[in-house]
Amino acid sequence: MADVTGDPSAPSYDSELLSDQQDTSGPTSIGDLARIAAKNRKPKLPHWTSLIDCQDGTLLEQVEICVTEQEKRTGAARTTSMGMKDVYTVYLVETRVKESGGQGLGEGHTSLWRRYSEFELLRNYLVVTYSYVIVPPLPEKRMTLMWQQMSTVDNFDADFIERRRVGLEGFLQRVGAHQTLCEDGIFHGFLQKEDSWKEAVHATGFQAKQDSRLKSLNASFRLKKPDRKFEDLKNYASELQGNITAVLKVRAKLVDRLYGIHKIHGNYGRVFSEWSGIEQEMGDGLQSAGHFMDAYKDYIDDYMNEEEQIADQLKEYIYFADALKSVCRKQEVLQYELEKAGDLLAAKTLQKEQVMGNAPSRSFSLRGMRSKIFGPESQESKDAQTKVLEEQIEECEQHLKQATQETEAFIESALVEVERFKKQRTTDLKEIFINYAILQIKISKRVSPFSFNKNV
Amino acid sequence: MSANMADETQKTDSRDVEEDPLQNPLSSGTDDEEDIIAVIRAPAKVSSTEGRPSAIMGSMKLEEEPDVKDLFITVDDFQKHVFTIDTYITYRVFTRTTRSAFDEPEYSVRRRYQDFLWLRQKLLETEETHIIPPLPEKHSMRMDRLSKDFTITRQAALHKFMQRISEHPVVSFNEYLKVFLTAKAWELTSHRKASSGIVSRIGSTIKTTTSALMLKNRSPEFTMMTEYINTFAEKMSSVDRISQRILKEQMDLGAEYESYGPTYRLWGNSEVELADTLGSLGDCLDKCAKSVKDMTLSIETNFLPAAKEYMLYSDAVKGTLRKRDYIQMEYELACEELTRKKNEREQVKISDQNYSLGAIMGKDPSDVKEAKSTKLESQIDKLQKQVDFLSDKSEVANADMKADMERWHRNKRKDVKEMFTGLAAGQVESYKQCLDAWEEVIEVLKSEKRHSDDVGNSLFQTSEPSVHAAGGGDSQLNGREEDEKE
Repeated sequence: MADVTGDPSAPSYDSELLSDQQDTSGPTSIGDLARIAAKNRKPKLPHWTSLIDCQDGTLLEQVEICVTEQEKRTGAARTTSMGMKDVYTVYLVETRVKESGGQGLGEGHTSLWRRYSEFELLRNYLVVTYSYVIVPPLPEKRMTLMWQQMSTVDNFDADFIERRRVGLEGFLQRVGAHQTLCEDGIFHGFLQKEDSWKEAVHATGFQAKQDSRLKSLNASFRLKKPDRKFEDLKNYASELQGNITAVLKVRAKLVDRLYGIHKIHGNYGRVFSEWSGIEQEMGDGLQSAGHFMDAYKDYIDDYMNEEEQIADQLKEYIYFADALKSVCRKQEVLQYELEKAGDLLAAKTLQKEQVMGNAPSRSFSLRGMRSKIFGPESQESKDAQTKVLEEQIEECEQHLKQATQETEAFIESALVEVERFKKQRTTDLKEIFINYAILQIKISKRVSPFSFNKNV
Repeated sequence: MSANMADETQKTDSRDVEEDPLQNPLSSGTDDEEDIIAVIRAPAKVSSTEGRPSAIMGSMKLEEEPDVKDLFITVDDFQKHVFTIDTYITYRVFTRTTRSAFDEPEYSVRRRYQDFLWLRQKLLETEETHIIPPLPEKHSMRMDRLSKDFTITRQAALHKFMQRISEHPVVSFNEYLKVFLTAKAWELTSHRKASSGIVSRIGSTIKTTTSALMLKNRSPEFTMMTEYINTFAEKMSSVDRISQRILKEQMDLGAEYESYGPTYRLWGNSEVELADTLGSLGDCLDKCAKSVKDMTLSIETNFLPAAKEYMLYSDAVKGTLRKRDYIQMEYELACEELTRKKNEREQVKISDQNYSLGAIMGKDPSDVKEAKSTKLESQIDKLQKQVDFLSDKSEVANADMKADMERWHRNKRKDVKEMFTGLAAGQVESYKQCLDAWEEVIEVLKSEKRHSDDVGNSLFQTSEPSVHAAGGGDSQLNGREEDEKE
């Protein structure tokens, strides 16, 4: 699968497959196998750009975004209360403009260092500002959602950092590929402006919005007329998460077993080598068998690495589902506001009717009591009240209109967004599965030198 | 060669000329070439204490290697029998032979495991100098003794046992074997009751274990054999252990695979556009699960029992080596005794009997000398005979050991190769099935993707280089496939 942005240097799964096969066309000696293993133990994982369909006119068409390196930094200025230095990881974000006019990103090549919390800040900003967008998720902050036994959870583990890097790159590229998000100034700033970017973000006042949003999202309420579409989407999101989780769980167990099997075969290698020493005619055959077993034992490491990447891509969709859920939730909030506005209007209207004497008051009301005790209200006060109420009703109507417009606009954009998301998901998942299948095929082919045994 | 054979014909029973295998056309050598020699020898004689000059036979074997196997034994058709006090399984032992030692050309008898044990015990006693193949174990820790799988495995092992015996040029003529193959049930019972008791068996084991320590000058080739078989047994036992572990993991792997497919299918339940994709993935994984299970089964039924057998076979070889050592020791002891007596004789000749016990008691010293000499002479005579006998016996044992060892090595090479080739073939088959399943699913995925991309293209107007690359990658994949298929 070639890189969509046309970068020839991005290794793809297919070319890996090919280059490996080229090496094993002849008799596979232990040296060849070691060389292949070393080559495969690349420090950098392949880019994900293949997964991302660029929408027309988006940033990613013209600009190439990469997260290329990571480094450990010590916070010189900040120390924790215990006097220990704050250690964190930074990632190098490089931007290269391919065609001129990259939406005001200028020319040439920029690179700056960002740490994870800054990515989080960017994402939170985007989520709050474009609430109808299913904003791409970030990779995990800490190692959660692991179904394999981990004796220690090390946030500085090299593999974890590497996979995080890949995830961060994917995030930026997805944002860059999104029609609306890619035009955002704060996003541009993230890519290019190192200093005072954080201040710029806070200047947008998104923090306040975020707080109110969080509050409303967490509130529980009942809708009178929930939107069927969004209900379905919410349920779909939950099911998607459940399904992917189930798949990943079994996959992890499977790989565990496979790992064990391969490693135990390594014991064969030792025994065969020792055995070949006491045999005459069988000696050579046993030796080569032993070597094969040793190589077989090592196959599994590369395979596991590559499969982990694919698993990560599936995991991304678990988080995507979360983003989808929040959009649905937002719609519910808006709907609730709408309904509240409608209710308020209806209540005020009723009040007005009551004041004007048209609507009979209910069984017990203050007005009724008052009129009974104090006598009916004067026309003046009625008029005054009516006026107040009419103003209020006017306000309500405006409010309602606004809320309706807002809600409808939101729904419209959200549904478009959902469609886009669905297409992306379908494409992504198909791509993921194809790569998975290719990997399986690769590993199956690799083991065909089992025919070594004909030498014995 | 005919001169040698003439020496032996006096031991044979009447044999028709047309049955002389020498008349038969020679074909390429197999392990059964010894039959030509075996036929000439006395097939019905059991006593191994007669010095059969197998050494000469051994050298003959190398010159001509006819392929005449005239004794075929199979073990099959196990059946369970339920009695009030007991339940056991019998196996049909079917023999087909052209040997004149047998009255009929075909025999079919039913035997139970105990009978096999009895046969092996008798063979061990009567063919001391030969390696007797092992029987499958009496007890199994894992499987129920009466379960079908266990019985199938045991039957296969018993069959192997009989095959090995029938191919042995000497042991296959053992009288007890004939009884085993032909006797009616009640005949067999009489034979079994008449066999030697437990005490002698224990005694012989003790004798043989200590002899190895007392041996003075074991010929280096036997030392090498002992070292080899010890190491070999070690390695086989390691192989067995490792294989057991792998088997267990494989079984778990198969179980995981079985639960994997359903997760995809369940997912497909919630999807619209991806339903088919997920369904095909689920099917593919089911196929993989099946192939893993098949491979696991094949390891269990073929590879593991073979490894087990060779572990037991190594023990059998060790036992025979120890017996050979014992025979050599007996011979050496006898030689020592003889030398001592001879020295005594010389001593007596030159001794002065004036102060001997006899002289003190009033006998004439020269008479005493005379008496002692005579006694010594007769002792020496007896000892000499014994030494000669033991020398022959030792020579026979050595030659038999060497011949059997060579045959054992040859069989081992063949069997081990079969074992591992079978294992590898099973693996290759399993991987191939998985490969096919994945390649099938990838075709489906790619064609679906192309279809949905065409649909998507109209919306987004992006080119899809990945499709072309996939196509290119595909053909290269296929090209590689052809290279790999050997």
